[in-house]
Amino acid sequence: MKTNILVLIVLLLTPSVFAQKLISKNGHIRFYSHTPLEDIEADNNQVVSILDPSTGTIQFSLLVKSFEFKRALMQEHFNENYMESDKIPKAGFTGKITNLDKINLKKNGTYPAEVTGDLSIHGVTKSFSTSGTITVDRNSVRAVTKFSLVPKDFNIEIPSVVENKIAKEIEVNVDVTYSSD
Amino acid sequence: MRKSIIIAASIIIIVLAVAGWKIVFKPAAISVASQKADISIDAATLLHDFETNEKAANAKYLDKVILVTGTVEYIKTDSAGFTVYLTEDGVSGVLCSFDRNAVDSKIFRKGEKASVKGICSGYLMDVVLNKCSSE
Repeated sequence: MKTNILVLIVLLLTPSVFAQKLISKNGHIRFYSHTPLEDIEADNNQVVSILDPSTGTIQFSLLVKSFEFKRALMQEHFNENYMESDKIPKAGFTGKITNLDKINLKKNGTYPAEVTGDLSIHGVTKSFSTSGTITVDRNSVRAVTKFSLVPKDFNIEIPSVVENKIAKEIEVNVDVTYSSD
Repeated sequence: MRKSIIIAASIIIIVLAVAGWKIVFKPAAISVASQKADISIDAATLLHDFETNEKAANAKYLDKVILVTGTVEYIKTDSAGFTVYLTEDGVSGVLCSFDRNAVDSKIFRKGEKASVKGICSGYLMDVVLNKCSSE
């Protein structure tokens, strides 16, 4: 959208004034559902994330349809029955790193990070906090976290017929490597 | 007579069970190589459509197999495969995601024209195509 272009233009024009924002367009999010009957996992390798080192603002956005499953029918059900991705194509998170003072993005190392903000899935926005790690290695900054979500919290209805095949809590893994271009 | 009905019924049940099994456990294709493109378009027009009216563009392109032509800005490998970024002088582009077994990434060269076929997943900062194949 237009705002994205504006953000990018601002970024390109003002690197000397503000600390440069870190961007990733191919972040990775994987989710798992584990039950004795069936294990389901899906991968999304086109997660966009922007991290502003000066304020600690961190954003993630993804296209629900970019999640790839091992089985075609699972992907179809996920999009059509559960996530309704035609109506709600995106999911995302906007928040802040609350312990930014303890993270030095200019110095190599692994830092624990606390993040809090708003998580939007299936058109439902909830306040959300999690902890993860930020690893700085020469020029790359990598953010990793893992948390669990309950589909019901986001008005995702699981029909009783498949109730036993889909976990009550879905494990979500996030792994994003930023570059500053 | 009764015996033949039982045999016929068993055969039908077995056939249905196998068909059902095949549908439920059908592996997801790694690319759209075998599918015909629904829409052929250049990268600039596709981007323009999403930038001016995302809702209308979603209705037009989501889940469709799209053949996009543009200039390769970069090729980036990741754990699952690689991404080819097509652009047409602009800040946005088309992110084309390939499974590592779909095609050889060496067929793409930076700065050269390329045509990529994939399923349109939508628009974030760029238009995203999944399960890509070259054409």
